[in-house]
This record gives sequence, structure tokens and C-alpha cells, in this order.
Amino acid sequence: MDETATARTAMQPGGTSWDLRAEPGRTIGLLGTAGGGLTRLGLSLLVDLSRRAPVAVVDVRGWISPIAAFEVGIYPEHLVFVRSRERLQWPQVVAALLEGLQAVYAEVPVGIPDAHLRRLAALARSRGGALLLRPLDGRLPSGVSHLSLQSEEVKWNGADAGHGCLRRRHLQMRAWGKGMGGIERLIEVEEDGENPLRVVAGMVAPTAGRATG
Amino acid sequence: MCPGAVVLERDLGFETTDFEQVVVAIENLVPKVEVVEPGLVFVPIQGALRYYGGERPLVERMFDRLTEWPGGRLGVAHGPFAARRAAALATEAPVCVDDDVAFLAGLTVDVLPDDDLVATFRWLGIGTLGELSQLPREALASRFGEPGLVVHRLASGEDRMVAPRGVPEDISVEQFYEEPLQLLDQAGFAARALAGRLIVALDEYGAAPYRVEVSVWAADGTKRVRVWRSADPFTEHGLAERVWWQLRAWIETAGVSGGIVRLRLQPADLSDAGRQLSLEEDTVTRLEAVRALHRAQALVGPDAVLQAQAQGGRRPSEQVGWFRWGEEASIPQRNPKAPWPGRVPSPTPVLVPPDPQSIEVEWDGGIPARVRLRSRWETVTTWAGPWSLVGRWWEGEETVERYQIVTSATALLCEVRDGIAFVVGIYD
Repeated sequence: MDETATARTAMQPGGTSWDLRAEPGRTIGLLGTAGGGLTRLGLSLLVDLSRRAPVAVVDVRGWISPIAAFEVGIYPEHLVFVRSRERLQWPQVVAALLEGLQAVYAEVPVGIPDAHLRRLAALARSRGGALLLRPLDGRLPSGVSHLSLQSEEVKWNGADAGHGCLRRRHLQMRAWGKGMGGIERLIEVEEDGENPLRVVAGMVAPTAGRATG
Repeated sequence: MCPGAVVLERDLGFETTDFEQVVVAIENLVPKVEVVEPGLVFVPIQGALRYYGGERPLVERMFDRLTEWPGGRLGVAHGPFAARRAAALATEAPVCVDDDVAFLAGLTVDVLPDDDLVATFRWLGIGTLGELSQLPREALASRFGEPGLVVHRLASGEDRMVAPRGVPEDISVEQFYEEPLQLLDQAGFAARALAGRLIVALDEYGAAPYRVEVSVWAADGTKRVRVWRSADPFTEHGLAERVWWQLRAWIETAGVSGGIVRLRLQPADLSDAGRQLSLEEDTVTRLEAVRALHRAQALVGPDAVLQAQAQGGRRPSEQVGWFRWGEEASIPQRNPKAPWPGRVPSPTPVLVPPDPQSIEVEWDGGIPARVRLRSRWETVTTWAGPWSLVGRWWEGEETVERYQIVTSATALLCEVRDGIAFVVGIYD
């Protein structure tokens, strides 16, 4: 069993299996401001699905780097970027992609009505596609995500007062929703840009009571 | 060394347009020529022999026309592979082959299209196509699979394609356009959409075309037809590309006055080889994905549905080569395998703004102390750099200092030029 699998097994609470990966028919919300570390995490969640068929990244600003996506392990020939800046067109574009692709990572422009997001999550459920939403304003309405991940802290190793360079990061996130079995948890993942994402800790969050959905 | 040298990419669309006049000249003698690529056409002459009174008068006439363009070569044989090899030898005058098998038997195996197989044959002591054709076909198929079978057929002069099973003969796809297509971009989009529909339609029968007839109707009522052929069954990308080249050639040579009002693709010479799916890939998934991406392309336009390939460069923004989904990737402008000293080490920033974004940085004795993120100032917890990047000074590029700056909220890749800091990457 590899290191990742060991970590994942260790995270199974009370025999209930849950895992940090995109699943068919599920929507994952990646919440928090830019720089919090969730874009790279979101791309990492597409890796397994990209082995079988194309996956799409809906890039609102044209900022997402395909090189970073290749680094995390997405198959280059199966990665398609769709640039959709128009707020009115964005829901149609994501819906069109969900009709045929097994996984879509979509940045959400500011001002998309909640009803559209709920319809897209319902479409992902009915079509069996995985949908990862990364809202640019950092928030999603309740009831959209099967699993919500919110960046709490990101620590970088490797750079030290001018020496070295960024090598490895530890990202601490708060996770909640049905995908967590209704329990809010703090998850820490470690990544060095070359090896697969590694979950290093998963513990019940000290504060409970956040709405699931 | 020549720092001012500019490497131009091969533009097959432009070459097709340039080659169109040659194709038209040949077409005026014998209809239904089959274009393989710019510079190479096959002309089925069986039906024209009687009209011209035999092979010799026709070949002489065709060669006369070809002399208008330097370097034109003409080979005549029963099969396309032998005809192509004959043309390769026809440096001074046309080469006519009476017996394909005897002609091919004397050629070396180097003329075969599969370099790996050629190397293996050489290693096994098989030097000519004659020696290859003497081997039992079953043995080659057993040892080398489908490629072995194909080269044995070529060596034996049996490269005529036939439709192996009951695919409906009337299978074709066409599209009418209320607004005539006059712009190259419109034609390119139409070509991709229709090529995709044809391949999907044929996929249902497990077939793929070796030859496709492209027909267009112009707004003034004229109809143009051209046949394209391929040694391997057309893929969707390959077919879309060739249809696009042809439409571009017609539009740029004023061959469709008033624009295109109707476009039709009709396959011929179908193969049951189809396309080999990769491991774990299933047909339904792939077809649904193609349809979904076509729909997205219709919504946002072909320039907004993209794929990427890695290429060389020192800045993160330089290391990406974009190409439209559905088109072949071009050759990288900068070699990705070259060392590129000074490039930013992995991990690459995941967010790379197309244009550097200015950022306020507070310096303390040359050390970054605080950065302004939106409305608030963040203390720099650690940093790496400065790393100098010396650009092409002979073209006026400035030297920049690069820093990786880490705060409690984020990590940034910054460039400092003339004392002004810019964000060129965000480690999100």
C-alpha cells in the first residue's frame, strides 16, 4: 500500500469511507480567496479521472497554468481549457461540458445567481459528472456542494530569508458537507509539486455546527 | 550563432492554397483528383484513357501542364503506392510502371512508411520489397500485427482500399448556411464541426474513411468538389484540418464567389480498422466528450476552447504553447527539453496572469518586508531571491530581479523592474 493510500485509510472515521477525490455525480466547492492554495488542490482532484477521458477546466480570467496541471499529474492530451468570461454565458458553457465530460473544474465568476449553481449541481448529479466549483469571490450558496473545502492556512517550506526556493506546502483546510458524513473536519495535505497529493492528517474540527449541504 | 534568426512554422493551409492552381490544372484534364497533402495528388486515370486515346497521350499532356511549375514529377502505376514511388524516380520524364509487383520488388525497404519496421527488416536481412513480399503474410501478421500486414500489402502491390462491410453508401453529412461563409474563421469552424459529425456517424459502424469528398456550393450556385485521401484512416483532427485547408484554398483563390452556402462531406474507401482506443477509454465516453466540447466551442468560439503543451522558457508564461482543441499541436517554439538556466523551479505557480500585475512592496534594506494585497498590508514571512533574469539585451529587454514572496495569506512570484514590483505568478 502506498503512502497516500495509507494516509487515506487512516482518515476513515468509524468505518465510514470518505476520501479526498472528485467523484461522479458529486459537486465539490473550493472556497476561500486566491492564494489560499485551493486551485492546485482542485486540479489534483482531477488526476484520476483524466486518465480515462477528457476533463475540462473553465478558466474565467485566463490565469490557470496548464504547466501546474501537468505537474500535479493531469494527462496533457486529456486536459481542455475553456475560457468563459461572460457571466450570462458561463452557466450554459458549464452545463454543455457536464453533458458529456466526466469532470469539470470551473472557476465561478462573481455574480452568478444561486439558482444557476444549484441547477448545475443537479445536472452533475443526473449526468454522473464530477463538478468542482472555485468561486472567485470565495463563497457558494448552501445546498450546492456535496463536499466543501475551505482553505484555513497554507505553509510553504524551502525558502528561507532569500535562500532556497519554494518546495513543499502544507495546506490546512476545513471540510464539511455530506461528503464528510456530516462531520466538520480539519484536513491537512502536503504537496511538493512532483509527487501526488498526500493527506497527512484528518481530525474533527474544534468548532462544529456549520450547515452541511 | 544567429540571434536574429526567426524560425517560421510550416503553414500547410497556405501551401494548400498555393498548390490549388496545380490541382485545378490537373483537374481540367482528369476530374476527381485525390489530394493527399500539398504537393501530392493521386489521379485515377482509368476512365479518362478512352477520351484521350490511351495512356501515353494523357501522360504527355499532363506532364506538359506540370512543366509550368518547377519540380513537378509524374508516376503512373496501377496502385497509389507504386505510383508514388514511380513519381519519386521521375526526375526528368514521367515513369510509367506496367507491372507494379515487379517494379516494387526492386525497391529497398526504406521506402516503406514505418521506420521501426524498416530497421527491424534490415536487421533481419530483408533488404528489398521483393524479399519482403515473398514472406508468408500470416507470419508477418503474427509477428508484427496490423503494421506488418499493411507493409506486406504495400510490398505486394495490393494497396487499393475497399469497403469491407455493409456501411450505407449514402452516409454523408452536410450543412446549409443561411449567411454565406466568407471568412476563414467561419470556414474553419464549419470544417471542424462537419468533420466531427462525419467521424461520429461512421464510428457507429466501426468504420473510418480513407478518402473523403468535400463538396461546397457557392452563393452564386457554382459547386466545387475535391477528394482528399490518406494512407491511414482519417482521424477527426486530420479530416477537419484537410477540409479547412481546402475551404481556405477555395476562398483565397476566389473559387467560391459570394461565400459558401452549403458544405457536404462524403466518405469513400471505408475501413473497419477504426481508431484504436487507449486503455480504459470507452467509445461512448469519448464520443460524448467530443460532442460536449463541440457544444462549448459553439458557445464561446474556437479560440476559447484550448489545449496546451509544455515548451521551453524561463518565465512561467513562456512555458505554455496553446492550440485550439480539435487541431494538431504545433511544434513548440522553444525546446522544452533544453536546460533553460534561470527558469523558475517546480512547483510552477498555478495562477499566471497573462500580463504582470503591479503590486506594492515595502522594502527594508533591499529585503521585502510587506506587500499590499488588495486593501491590506501583509507581512512577508519568508522569501527567496533575488534571481536575476538577463533578457535579450540586444533587443532592448531589461534585466529583472525575481523573488518568491511568502505571506501568511499566499505565496507570490514577483518580478522587480526599475524598482517597480509585478506579480507574475500566484502559488494558489
